[in-house]
Amino acid sequence: MKIIDCHCHIASEEHTPRSFLEGSVKNMVAALSAQGLPVSVKKLMTIFQSKMRDPFGDALVTEMGEAGISKSVLLIADFTYALKDCILTIEESFARHREVLLRHPGKFEVFGGVDPRWGKDGLALFERSLVEFGFRGFKVYPPCGFSPSDPALFPFYELCAHHQLPVLVHIGPTAPVLDFTVSSPFLIDEAARRFPSVNFILAHGAVSFVEECVMLCRFRPNIYLDISGYQSTLGYDPTATAVKKIVSLGINHKVLFGTDFPVFRLQGEQKDFLMPLMSENGALAELSDKEQSLVLHQNVERLLEIGVGAPATQYAIALDMQ
Amino acid sequence: MEIAAELDEKIINIVSQGVSGRFKKTKITPETHLQKELGLDSIGILAMVFRFEELFSIDIAQLGVDINVAKLKTVSDVIQAARDILNKALLAKQA
Repeated sequence: MKIIDCHCHIASEEHTPRSFLEGSVKNMVAALSAQGLPVSVKKLMTIFQSKMRDPFGDALVTEMGEAGISKSVLLIADFTYALKDCILTIEESFARHREVLLRHPGKFEVFGGVDPRWGKDGLALFERSLVEFGFRGFKVYPPCGFSPSDPALFPFYELCAHHQLPVLVHIGPTAPVLDFTVSSPFLIDEAARRFPSVNFILAHGAVSFVEECVMLCRFRPNIYLDISGYQSTLGYDPTATAVKKIVSLGINHKVLFGTDFPVFRLQGEQKDFLMPLMSENGALAELSDKEQSLVLHQNVERLLEIGVGAPATQYAIALDMQ
Repeated sequence: MEIAAELDEKIINIVSQGVSGRFKKTKITPETHLQKELGLDSIGILAMVFRFEELFSIDIAQLGVDINVAKLKTVSDVIQAARDILNKALLAKQA
């Protein structure tokens, strides 16, 4: 079965600043210290940073091969406006991603992300990425301090509408240095209404604000969700019930497979995260082959027009499913 | 053999300290899968590593050992990693 991972990142501190990683590590320190263990941020950061040394995507490509993932979508979250310790400018980050695209032909697509507060320069960069670099979508990271329906984002959505490309929006929790108050999926509603020809993907919709995400997917033709982050539930639920539940609700034409690599690299490799889904009693086991195909590759292919003829309208997709 | 068995028992004890909830009654053997059968996530596995360090008074980072936590799938993997680390610690001490 073909598999496309719609949610990955380059594992490098060049694109994810130390303050972001440290914030996440502090949560782990809190949990471990509560158990009476002598843990420090410095010690855990060393372990975390060992998993952030893949600037060219080589290790990711290897893991993709071992897992049977044919293509991954690399997402650039623009932290450069919100966090002041980014190693690269957003232009440099875009350039690096372009290098990775060229280094691994056919293995990746890239969604560029630009903080809307960068204004016209940011918009120009994003447009250039679509026209010259071959990037295929827009990544929005609201916890940096803006709503996904902020009017400053509308020119970006207009470009996506013009080029028929999707927008992937982070929802739910993130590193504690950022703002959680703008991570609700309902904040996308205005943008989805104003731009009905743009498809919006709610990242982590199988584990954060699940009911809200399912409702939006069910009733807004242009909203989808990805299941990345389901790995956070595997510790207490190795059978991935969170995913099993999502794919039992009649919205499989809107569900996209994703892993959020490298966030869960301490927990396992890409092939380890597919096992709870693909095994005989896995979360996708009760789906028909067609529905598995939708979740694992066809939905994202349709959004990106990869290997498909003319893109189906949302209404036609709904009809196909009846 | 006796020392090895004693080490295995200590490691299994360390592993069991991190198990909670419905996994608590699982009988732990070398073949037991850390995540699937014991519900250990990355925090649980890290806790295990730090308990090991505490028990054996070792700083794994100072030994120059790079533990790939993601590769620790079963209790047997943990026991093997523990043996490797303790051997390295012994060599470092003798050097």
